Amino acid sequence: MTDVILEKVGKTYPNGYHAIPSVDLSIEEGEFIVLVGPSGCGKSTLLRMVAGLESISTGELRIRGERMNEKEPAERDIAMVFQNYALYPHMSVYDNMAYGLKNRGMAKNLIEEKVSDVAAMLGLTELLQRKPRQLSGGQRQRVAMGRAMVRDPKVFLFDEPLSNLDAKLRVQMRVEIRQLQRKLGTTTLYVTHDQVEAMTLADRLVVLNKGKAEQIGTPMDLYNKPATPFVAAFIGSPSMNLIDANLTEQGIKISEALTLPLSHQHRGGIVWGIRPEHLEVSDEHNADFALRILAVESLGAETLIHGKVETELGNGDPMVVRLSGPHLPDVNSLMWLTAPVLHWHLFDAKTQQRLRD
Amino acid sequence: MTVTFPQKGLPWLLLLPQLLVTAIFFLWPAEQALEQAFYQEDAFGLSREFIGLENFAALFTDPLYYQSMLTTLVFSFSVAIVGMSLALLLAVMADRVIRGKLAYQTLLIWPYAVAPALAGVLWWILFDPSMGPIALWLKSAGVDWNHYLNGNQAMILVVIASTWKQISYNFLFFLAGLQAVPRSLIEAAAIDGASPFKRFWTIVFPLLSPTTFFLLVVNLVYAFFETFGVIDATTKGGPGQSTTTLVYKVFNDGFVGLDLGGSAAQSVVLMAIVGLMTVIQFRFIERKVQYS
Amino acid sequence: MIENRPWLTFASHATLLMGIALVALPVWMALVASTHPASAFGAGHIPLWFGDAGAETWGTVLFEKAGNGVDTPVWFMMLNSLIMALGITFGKIAISLLSAYAIVFFRFPFRNLCFWIIFMTLMLPVEVRIVPTYEVVANLDLLNSYTGLTLPLIASATATFLFRQCFLSIPGELVEAARMDGAGPWRFFFDILLPLSRTNIAALFVILFIYGWNQYLWPLLITTDDAYYTLVMSIKRMLSVTDGDIAWNQIMATTLLAMLPPVAVVIGMQKLFVKGLVDSEK
Repeated sequence: MTDVILEKVGKTYPNGYHAIPSVDLSIEEGEFIVLVGPSGCGKSTLLRMVAGLESISTGELRIRGERMNEKEPAERDIAMVFQNYALYPHMSVYDNMAYGLKNRGMAKNLIEEKVSDVAAMLGLTELLQRKPRQLSGGQRQRVAMGRAMVRDPKVFLFDEPLSNLDAKLRVQMRVEIRQLQRKLGTTTLYVTHDQVEAMTLADRLVVLNKGKAEQIGTPMDLYNKPATPFVAAFIGSPSMNLIDANLTEQGIKISEALTLPLSHQHRGGIVWGIRPEHLEVSDEHNADFALRILAVESLGAETLIHGKVETELGNGDPMVVRLSGPHLPDVNSLMWLTAPVLHWHLFDAKTQQRLRD
Repeated sequence: MTVTFPQKGLPWLLLLPQLLVTAIFFLWPAEQALEQAFYQEDAFGLSREFIGLENFAALFTDPLYYQSMLTTLVFSFSVAIVGMSLALLLAVMADRVIRGKLAYQTLLIWPYAVAPALAGVLWWILFDPSMGPIALWLKSAGVDWNHYLNGNQAMILVVIASTWKQISYNFLFFLAGLQAVPRSLIEAAAIDGASPFKRFWTIVFPLLSPTTFFLLVVNLVYAFFETFGVIDATTKGGPGQSTTTLVYKVFNDGFVGLDLGGSAAQSVVLMAIVGLMTVIQFRFIERKVQYS
Repeated sequence: MIENRPWLTFASHATLLMGIALVALPVWMALVASTHPASAFGAGHIPLWFGDAGAETWGTVLFEKAGNGVDTPVWFMMLNSLIMALGITFGKIAISLLSAYAIVFFRFPFRNLCFWIIFMTLMLPVEVRIVPTYEVVANLDLLNSYTGLTLPLIASATATFLFRQCFLSIPGELVEAARMDGAGPWRFFFDILLPLSRTNIAALFVILFIYGWNQYLWPLLITTDDAYYTLVMSIKRMLSVTDGDIAWNQIMATTLLAMLPPVAVVIGMQKLFVKGLVDSEK
């Protein structure tokens, strides 16, 4: 059953700024949707429009079939976890979680029951009488989630909830959020700028760029078949090597001296892409091209090699190669590489759309 | 941008008390003053006559008014400079000491709480020519102290009483300013071989200049408007006109002299001066906010 | 300090002690003067050490009458001063909280105009517009009344600005969270905003209490009935008797009693006082 529907939803600010032209999205019940994009892409605005904290300029938002555009945030049966948690500093953990229920006029014993259930689920039982300032970052994060959970809403909204935690805690909370969401089965809309977080959490991802949904799909869809160079560069780390080229009868002409053979009916300017992990080390005779090594980053489990494509006219486009295990090639030496056709991504330079394989 | 509530009528309800009080007790009287300044009214308020700018013309041709302006300037700058110098000295010392800082602070700030009129009375008895210990001591030292008769001495008395009350304020702000000077700068200067005295004048004092400027404005405003009680309780503007400041003159001409038109014209001039000072203060504060 | 210079440390302490002595001098003298009978002052100088008439003088002014033409006892005028000070303080805080709330958390037409109208009150201290304000209050029949003593003084741009500043520093997410939790404007005001502004309110309370207690010119003008005399202004009435008849011991005792409450507040709540002073000048 479809739970949340955004139909041609758009946002224009009073000063005329067109933040979001039009977004279509339908979310299934229990689905975990992640909105991801660079800062300023409109992902938070979109989330806040669903929350009712920003008005919807055009289009319609429906939750369980009911139009929500004009409803107050409190009437939408949603709960939100904020980036800075937004815990009431003068209230205890218990009061923070109970406040929304009290405002809705719920009976006191029922509130107590709900709060203690949720607190037990999140391991907060011991902390109920503390004030937010007496809690660690991770604990605050849990209280913020608890506050959302006691309300038992139709939809959870998360606005970059992990960005204030340190790296280790972030990984831990990521796993925890995913587990909780599975267990509760609540439809979730989650905003982040971190593509790793997005990939690991999402059932489906929405990649936003300048207020437009560039692509909507499962993490693997986006990884395997990015619809645009923007998505290709955004998903995956280190990001995909993208090089401007020309598609001719001979194949992909990267420079005067370098053409990778391919037969394709498209002609003209393209963007050619290959992920760093798909490049393979080869020898001078079998290689497609050579890389002049500029820097080597050894991470133990893998090695990242930064260089420039070597042509007769000097160094060409920058490229990153990702090899598993330790490697120690000399800086400034040449590395011979093959790029298997299977892993190529071609995009029309003009329309920025993926070319059919 | 702050998050707001969507209600449209409620904010008016919230603002109503403040706006009502402001309209009735601020804007209406100000408008009245403006109006009265263009009329001549007899002492009983029975008749009045429109006379245009005559009240202002009379004001600006009255040597007493210029004298009062001069008195105000001398008084205000004396209060500001004497008060700030003493407070700075004490603040620098308090910043130096490690033990008893809080006790010193406590014992120096309480005069802030004393009403200006009471401050005036307290200093009056010390300087009373017939019985005050300081006056008697001055007499034995050869100074013929009588602030009832000597205008300059009367001025000194109100300056002392006004300054005394304001030292605490200056002290607190200077101390806060001094404590905000980065230790590393002073340490760097010490390594460069600057003596404590030199360090103060070349490093600390220039860094205090925003505080100093701020205090100068605040002190001038204080001396202008809040010292009414000091003057009224001790010298009543005398002897002659020697301690009649502009604010005291508005009151005196209006309530004692019953020259309502002239007093209103003075009110209007004062409002313009306060407006100007407020703008300066506001500008400065805005800049301070931007920089910090 | 950086170098250890004992003589400098010594000089610092000495300067501070001298400063304290200078600041305390007039109060010391007043205290001494209040312990002598009125006749002691005719002798041509104020005695420099305590006398033995202190208890009598203080008892008289406090419970019988302040003397020098003022027949009201000090405790009664203290009550009036307290009513005026608290009326002004609570009034200022209440109307400033409300108007700052309206200005920060709502968007409505003429919002900036309202802000400027409130701002203008900064430019119109009561001393400047004294004559017409008196007339307005007289026209409203508020002379010799507690309303007349307090109401004209409770509009406050300073307090409004302070609360505005304080409200602006409250994170927007907190407001959003409250809206999500179903809190309307009033609930938000009482449940979230007031508790979060507690220390600011307390600090301002200290400053405004001193301001209210120390009012001089205004009560002097609008009270002619001793039932409404406040302590600070009564000094002026006491000084108005003919020179030779001034009972200085009673005036000094009254003066000390008049400054006692606000000084006690400053010393007892020093931290809040300093905070209030610094906040209200921002």
